[in-house]
Amino acid sequence: MNVKKQNIEDLVLLTIVDRDANLTKSENFKEIVFKEIESGTRKLIISFENVEYLDSSFLGALVAILKNLVPKNGRLTLIELNNDIRNLFELTRLDKIFDLKNSLDKAIEGFK
Amino acid sequence: MNIFPIILNLDFPNDPDKIYEYTKDILSNLLEHIDLDLGYQRRIKLIVVELLTNSIKHSSEATTAIQLVIDQPHLSIHKIEKGLKIAFSSSSPQIPFENIKNVLNISFSESNKHNIQPLGAYKFKFLKPPPEDDLDITQMPEHFGLYIITLAADSFVYQYDPELGENTYTVRLNF
Repeated sequence: MNVKKQNIEDLVLLTIVDRDANLTKSENFKEIVFKEIESGTRKLIISFENVEYLDSSFLGALVAILKNLVPKNGRLTLIELNNDIRNLFELTRLDKIFDLKNSLDKAIEGFK
Repeated sequence: MNIFPIILNLDFPNDPDKIYEYTKDILSNLLEHIDLDLGYQRRIKLIVVELLTNSIKHSSEATTAIQLVIDQPHLSIHKIEKGLKIAFSSSSPQIPFENIKNVLNISFSESNKHNIQPLGAYKFKFLKPPPEDDLDITQMPEHFGLYIITLAADSFVYQYDPELGENTYTVRLNF
């Protein structure tokens, strides 16, 4: 899976480059983020600006990532979800669990 | 003027990287026959993505057959696939069901549990989970495919035909 990493002060921004966030990529993405957490990252932003759709496998990977991060006192914010993806979070009520923000600026503000 | 029901039979290669394209194809097919607001379009996209993803995960077939039945005021989406019947974990009641009166709690794994209502020995309906007030990330499942279909549909029914060796998943939306 193609993921672009950017450090913004003590935050790490991971931008998914692929259009499809699906079952062929979910395990690899989870491994990438777990390694990031293992290396000490605790403030994480994942951008979906390029992602057209997200399936149940990828949703499961995001839940696994949050389960990994929360006991380590880490925080995760998801940004730039299109209406279809946001609808999926609302349908599954995961919008109550995940921190969803419209933009990078709003996410950075939320970490302050 | 359309004459209902309209039945469309479609066949899709089990290619994970084409799922969203196929989903959009299905939606385009539907929109040629009926008007659907954005809310219904989103629900249909979620359902079709998960039906096709489920086939790629669990079917050995090269393609997945989808039948759309457009009727007023319903849309039914049938996914038909050959193979063994759906398998629950060993601690769950198994198909064929002996008791079809009661709601059953079944699981596919520790984090993939569902309430179902048997409708026959080889047929059951997925039931929507009751809303929980306090969602806890540590208790959240990591398998959402059938759960998403259950939530997005007005009705989601599974049926197995032991003679034909055929699984049919039927999703219904009421307009």
